[in-house]
Amino acid sequence: MMRAVTVEVLKVRRSMMVRITTVLVVLLVPLLSLGFVKVAENGGAGAVALKAQAMVVGEGWDAYLGLLAQMVSITMFIGPGMVVAWAFGREHADRTFPSLFALPVSRGSTAAAKFLVLACWGLVVTVLMLAASVLVGLVANVGPLGDVDLVPRLARLALAGSLTSMISLTIGLAASVGRGYLPAIGAMILLTMITQIAVLFGTGGWFPYAAPGLYAVAGTDGVAEVNAIQLLLVPVTTLAVVWLTVRWWEQAEVV
Amino acid sequence: MTEGSAVPMETRSLVRVYDGERAVDEVDLEVRPGEIHAIVGLNGAGKTTLMRMLLGMVRPTSGTALIGGIDVQAAGPEVWKQVGCLVETPFAYPELTVRENLLAAALLHGVDRDRIDAEIGRVVDEFGLGHWQHRRSRVLSLGNQQRLGLASSLIHRPSILVLDEPANTLDPAGVVFIRNLLRSSAAAGTAVLVSSHHLDQLARVAHHITVLHRGRIVGALDPAGIDLERQFFEQVYQDDVERGVA
Repeated sequence: MMRAVTVEVLKVRRSMMVRITTVLVVLLVPLLSLGFVKVAENGGAGAVALKAQAMVVGEGWDAYLGLLAQMVSITMFIGPGMVVAWAFGREHADRTFPSLFALPVSRGSTAAAKFLVLACWGLVVTVLMLAASVLVGLVANVGPLGDVDLVPRLARLALAGSLTSMISLTIGLAASVGRGYLPAIGAMILLTMITQIAVLFGTGGWFPYAAPGLYAVAGTDGVAEVNAIQLLLVPVTTLAVVWLTVRWWEQAEVV
Repeated sequence: MTEGSAVPMETRSLVRVYDGERAVDEVDLEVRPGEIHAIVGLNGAGKTTLMRMLLGMVRPTSGTALIGGIDVQAAGPEVWKQVGCLVETPFAYPELTVRENLLAAALLHGVDRDRIDAEIGRVVDEFGLGHWQHRRSRVLSLGNQQRLGLASSLIHRPSILVLDEPANTLDPAGVVFIRNLLRSSAAAGTAVLVSSHHLDQLARVAHHITVLHRGRIVGALDPAGIDLERQFFEQVYQDDVERGVA
């Protein structure tokens, strides 16, 4: 297993896709949040200003952290989801999948190693993104820090970001069974649509793809709190899909 | 080496059916240590499917594929440590350099960690990859990607080697290189199963040449014989006549 992990770390370290996604997620979330806060603060009646004013609740750090919470649920699914789609789909798209047969390291170990490495990468990106967010907030002086409970709100964002990147691992099943990137991207679009519908119908807390996002924004704008059991469904669902994916890798034939 | 006196590679009544069509049909084959066994056949004859079954890439519909006397479907790490192969595309991740690809291959093939650097250096020299060793494999020519794939499949000094059309994309110097590689591998006791379209290439190195047609073994060619191409087409044509498809 350690050998498979070393190989997967090597691929991730050298991947342009992973580098670009890391930079985009880490920088885009705080910068976009800051941009919306500034646009909303400046007022105006333009389309962007009105949209920003609708999204921003409160002011200063409260508004900034609220926007970060909205961004986290989207970017931490799409960004890591794209990387997961690449990691699993590329073995088929680049036709390297047959090279993983007839080896002392099993294909199940390779799939498990991919999940392990990507899960760790997701955690690192979450931490970096939050650190960058605090830094951007301080440098841009979004408001007086004393007005918000920064630590508990960051902890909530950290948990929401980690759980969102965790559930994005499930995209690996679509990339494996579909043998490429496109089925995985299709699955991401489908899951995003279902998430929106689940939230609209008020059942999002019980849908593992929606629960972390709702947890991130709970308490703001009348959004109900997400309970521990609902959050626990995220790792349970992820582990079930990871197990299915590893089984698929153990059983799949070359086509 | 494989356990005891077990035959390194063996198939018994091997069959694979795709959509009702027998891609491989009751194939019995043996490859012994130090032997180069060549499979020849037209496109779609079943060569790749046969090799895939020996390597566990596809499961037989019936029959058995054995590596070192062990059913491929039950083979574990100790069996696969002995096997090197190049079937389908070469082991070459485009974002990794040549050396990094070889490192990945060495890790996955179970080379002892303290031997990895030495083995990478050996195959870089043997396969003429020194000039490109720090370049990403995506920039290599097809021929050099093939050399990288061959180097990856031999980095752990396998005693069983399965190569599907290894001379594909290689220039004439590369073809000569492959012949020498097959000869030296066999001389070291490796059991080699190789497929090729080029009868002339095989005649110079193979100990046995088996003709596969429409999934079935239809005959053998004497590597020392003359006009192998004519003999090959006679066997293929005769089989088509017997099946009533000529």
